[in-house]
Amino acid sequence: MSAAASRGRAVSSAVGVYVLVLLVLQVFLLTVAVDALLGDDPGLAWVAAGCSALLAAGSLLFERFVKG
Amino acid sequence: MTDVPVDPPKWRRDFPYTSGGEDEVTRREFTRYLVLASGTFAAGTVAVAALASLRPINHGKPQPIVALDDVPVNGTHLFGYPTKDDPAILVRLPGDELHAMSQKCTHLSCVVYYRPEAQHMVCPCHEGVFDARTGDVVAGPPQRPLGRIDVEVRDGVVWALGAQS
Repeated sequence: MSAAASRGRAVSSAVGVYVLVLLVLQVFLLTVAVDALLGDDPGLAWVAAGCSALLAAGSLLFERFVKG
Repeated sequence: MTDVPVDPPKWRRDFPYTSGGEDEVTRREFTRYLVLASGTFAAGTVAVAALASLRPINHGKPQPIVALDDVPVNGTHLFGYPTKDDPAILVRLPGDELHAMSQKCTHLSCVVYYRPEAQHMVCPCHEGVFDARTGDVVAGPPQRPLGRIDVEVRDGVVWALGAQS
């Protein structure tokens, strides 16, 4: 395997792990939103939703760097 | 008879996967699944936020609770507000201060009780402590104050006027 291919695989793996971390953060944000719903705090729920949407956009962006 | 090595056919060279490997998921596919899940979580969180905005909050209507003389000084009276299913607590502090608040702990909704010696509301589940005057968190895991209920005395009767948002 060439050095470039090896580097590409490493970058792909790193991106996968990073997207996985973003996903875990989104699970946390979902629990925050549900907590805000039960606590009648829509402002906090929208902040969590905004952050979650931002992370989803980030995941989509990182997906472009994955090769193979 | 000798075994003569045979070159694999062209289709095998172009597609060097066995039937077992056809089920394998590539990194790109796996990451796409993750991104799909990410989008789903984002949509779910937005849906929860929309539900939180659209859900009507019942602040309650004015209603009598109890005669003032029936509440001992530094004692409490339990009632339901805004509906009978919503536990609430009225506390009469020394100096005839009246305060009412939801009895549901803002941590995990256990029922709080009044501790007269410290003038605190205490949640027995996880040791959450709230100020009996303001409902603010004094100690423990809760992050939000207890829901306050406005009260006033009319002709010797304590009335609940409405829950504060």
